[in-house]
Amino acid sequence: MNEKPKPPIQIDKMDKEFLDTIIKAGAEKINVCIQCGTCTSSCPSGRRTALKTRQLMRKGLLGLKDEILNNKDLWLCTTCYTCLERCPRGVDPTDVILTMRRMAVQAGNMLDPHKRVAGLVIKFGHAVPIDEATRKLRTTMNLGENPPTVHAYPEALKEVQEIIKKKGFDKLVCYEWK
Amino acid sequence: MSNPQVVEVKQSSLQKEEPRIGVYVCHCGLNIAGSVDCENVAKFAATLPNVVISRDNRYTCSDQGQDLIKKDIKEHKLNRVVVASCSPRLHEPTFRRACEEAGLNKYLFEMANIREQCSWVHLYDKQDATEKAKDLVKAAVAKVALLEPATESEVPIIPKALVIGGGVAGIQAALDLADTGYQVYLVEKEPSIGGKMAQIDKTFPTMDCSICILAPKMSDAGRHPNITLLTNSEVQDVKGYIGNFKVKVLKKPRYVTKDCSACGDCSKVCPVIMPNEFDVGLAVRHGIYTPFAQAVPSTYVIGMEHCLNKDGVLKCDKCIKACERKAIDFDMKPETVELEVGTIIVATGADVYDPTSLRNYGYTKFPNVITSLEFERLINAGGPSGGKLLRPSDMKIPETVAFVQCVGSRSDRGHLYCSNICCMNTIKDALLIKEHWPDTKIYVFYVDIRAFGKGFEDLYKRARKEGVIFIRGLPSDIYEERKTHNLWLVGENTLQNDVYKVNVGMVILSVGIEPRRDSDVIQKLLVLSRTNDGFFMEAHPKLRPVDTPTGGVFLAGCAEGPKDIKDSVTQASAAAARAGILMAKGKVTVEAITPKVLPENCKVCGLCTKVCPYNAVVLNKDLKHVEVIEAACAGCGTCGAECPFGALYMRHFTDDQIIAQIDALTEHDADKKIIAFCCNWCAYAGADFAGVSRMQYPTNVRIIRTMCSGRVAPKFVERAFVRGAAAVLVAGCHIGDCHYINANVQTQKRVERLWKKMERLGLNKERLQLLWASAAEGERVASKVREMQSIVQSVTKEEIEKSKKMTEKV
Repeated sequence: MNEKPKPPIQIDKMDKEFLDTIIKAGAEKINVCIQCGTCTSSCPSGRRTALKTRQLMRKGLLGLKDEILNNKDLWLCTTCYTCLERCPRGVDPTDVILTMRRMAVQAGNMLDPHKRVAGLVIKFGHAVPIDEATRKLRTTMNLGENPPTVHAYPEALKEVQEIIKKKGFDKLVCYEWK
Repeated sequence: MSNPQVVEVKQSSLQKEEPRIGVYVCHCGLNIAGSVDCENVAKFAATLPNVVISRDNRYTCSDQGQDLIKKDIKEHKLNRVVVASCSPRLHEPTFRRACEEAGLNKYLFEMANIREQCSWVHLYDKQDATEKAKDLVKAAVAKVALLEPATESEVPIIPKALVIGGGVAGIQAALDLADTGYQVYLVEKEPSIGGKMAQIDKTFPTMDCSICILAPKMSDAGRHPNITLLTNSEVQDVKGYIGNFKVKVLKKPRYVTKDCSACGDCSKVCPVIMPNEFDVGLAVRHGIYTPFAQAVPSTYVIGMEHCLNKDGVLKCDKCIKACERKAIDFDMKPETVELEVGTIIVATGADVYDPTSLRNYGYTKFPNVITSLEFERLINAGGPSGGKLLRPSDMKIPETVAFVQCVGSRSDRGHLYCSNICCMNTIKDALLIKEHWPDTKIYVFYVDIRAFGKGFEDLYKRARKEGVIFIRGLPSDIYEERKTHNLWLVGENTLQNDVYKVNVGMVILSVGIEPRRDSDVIQKLLVLSRTNDGFFMEAHPKLRPVDTPTGGVFLAGCAEGPKDIKDSVTQASAAAARAGILMAKGKVTVEAITPKVLPENCKVCGLCTKVCPYNAVVLNKDLKHVEVIEAACAGCGTCGAECPFGALYMRHFTDDQIIAQIDALTEHDADKKIIAFCCNWCAYAGADFAGVSRMQYPTNVRIIRTMCSGRVAPKFVERAFVRGAAAVLVAGCHIGDCHYINANVQTQKRVERLWKKMERLGLNKERLQLLWASAAEGERVASKVREMQSIVQSVTKEEIEKSKKMTEKV
């Protein structure tokens, strides 16, 4: 065994306000969790990956902010809602994870693919922009080349980009304007 | 019904003497003084009219506190006393007694509730809480000045008791009362007494054989000269009041007479076969049967619905032919037995949670997933498998067994409460398996093991020693292996952070217990309350744990909440003692709060006779006015609220007294206040519960207590608005739960009439709110007050002025 033993939880790493913050942000019922493990064991992702839903709830309750916001496991949840269906305490773990994800994103913590998708939104105004094949298909069906979205209205895309700039979303996702 | 001796209010005492009031503001340690400036309140009280002396002290309810009141009554010639402290539901009797001891009539005492309804619900706002306390004292002083002395009438108590439910709690209560010497009627719905305990194999923590310790008690109850057993029977109707209940019991026919010797010849020839209820469907029984070997009475019983063809005609008489003693009588009819009893003990027990709805556990889908009650029947030597733990799929004894805890408990998919018994029951069951088949591998999947009782931890330790494997973490799924019918449990071992996947031969779901599905029948008949979990509510959770809010009615066993056999028996003995106290006394005093008729005002319109839930107000054609039958009257006051001419004088809750309270509370800043009328039994008790639970709500509500919301006359509501109140709340028991049968239906009608009137006058009818809240619904009361803040804030000065003219326009 070459693994280093994990250091014990340190009091100074526990952020008292963090629990309040996530409760206010939408994880309203997290503090009635009794750690029964139903969420982890009903998780189709957790049975195969490192995702331990119960642990995320526990860490949230303890106020281990850094451990949650830097936790890559957060992104392993497929939001299938099985844990939410089965949780005996009505904690709604999926919603708690979504809340934690939003907070992680606000702290700038996300996976590279997320940033790439965000980049598409900034560049085209769509997370999934239209491609050549679809354009052609639309034309053959007499629907016009572009749908009546930012694709068809470049001035609207400018407005979207303006909003994104004002809110600092571009910086958050490290978008490089060309 | 026996007529209690009615003592009239002495005319001489009605002659008003100048009130000399003493006010005592209690600190209750820091319970009140922590958020109310008691000294300041006492100083304020001294300035109020007719107040001769005003004091604040640490504990008014202590001996010294009471002695001080008594001393003051004598020295300062006080003829009225106000104590500002806790809820009158708690200490009114204490202070009334103190007044009586000093020679003051106890009806000349009034309380201001500045703890449950002030300091405890406004913990962080000392200034406003103090102002509110002053208001409450002012209202109490205003009311007390108008109070009149009264003498209570006495009602004799019939020295007989009714026990509803023949489980272990009911049996124990019946035996205790019968041994004391009282006549007891023990009513049981099933054909035999015994209840759930008769179905269980062994009891924890001592591992006694359940039926071996129960059966002697059952037969004691069956042959006790003071106990009348009414099995196969249901309570249908309860009328009357403490000491004098008239009960109707429907006795369903057994179709077998007492001549039955329980030989069983009839059963052998009976062609009808159906699931056996006692063995929870794991075995069969015949159409004529005895529920189980030790049944009391042992007389057989016929489930007649299965003996008839589709046209309702008997299709067979084999049992009649087989019975040598000619004990079978198909002509038996249901009969209604009428009983007169003084006290009632409710020991109706609980149901077992049905886990079918938890689809991921596969109960009813997979044969080898069973419940703990089914396990009890399987492991019982008298059960369908002769005590062998046989898997339903292949009748083999499993090599590995898994118990799953908290099934239907601590969960919003079942019940939010802990069912109290399942942890120890599982541990006992695991040990039973180990005892018979020591090599069995046993897993217990749990969240927390709660081994809190005497001897419980020892049993838990023993199970650990014997090698039962405890794994923390509930399985989320149970799958079946199609060929073997073995089961896979998938879950997280939360102590190790690993996902487990375990293969077992049998799964036992440790199911919780839940309130009986037919609880509402008894609840309505006896006017009981239920807590949020659905079990019957006790009068006080600590100090009156077996009493109910209805006088003369007591609780025992699981009807009150999940509990084990020992606790059920303890509670049953306690309930028997409480009922025995009443019956030993032989009489009870009835509060002097019934109405007095003022004949000169009565126009013989008959409105009051229509609203009285007890038919206690009757028209006397000779005298040309109505009369009150005091013995039948419960004092709700809905007649007084209905009378447009003031002909019914509601003693202790007179129009003048209530209006004096309203006026006192609206003297200052009325436009920021909510005047709330709360019924004594539900809404006021609910507000008290909010206080005990320290639920915080805004300080601007002022509560006036009436016995029933039916007492709230429209003119009280109008008075509050005329005095400039921003909003009015009328609160009572839920419809159907009224402690005066249905008097709150009148409340609803009156409020609806007021709403119409407000609409007609162009007033915002939202300013008058109606709330139904039970004694357990403190949060409901608190959130209503919170919710009403937006109404209070939105009311404009013009609207207040407009509503001040509310009565003028009529």
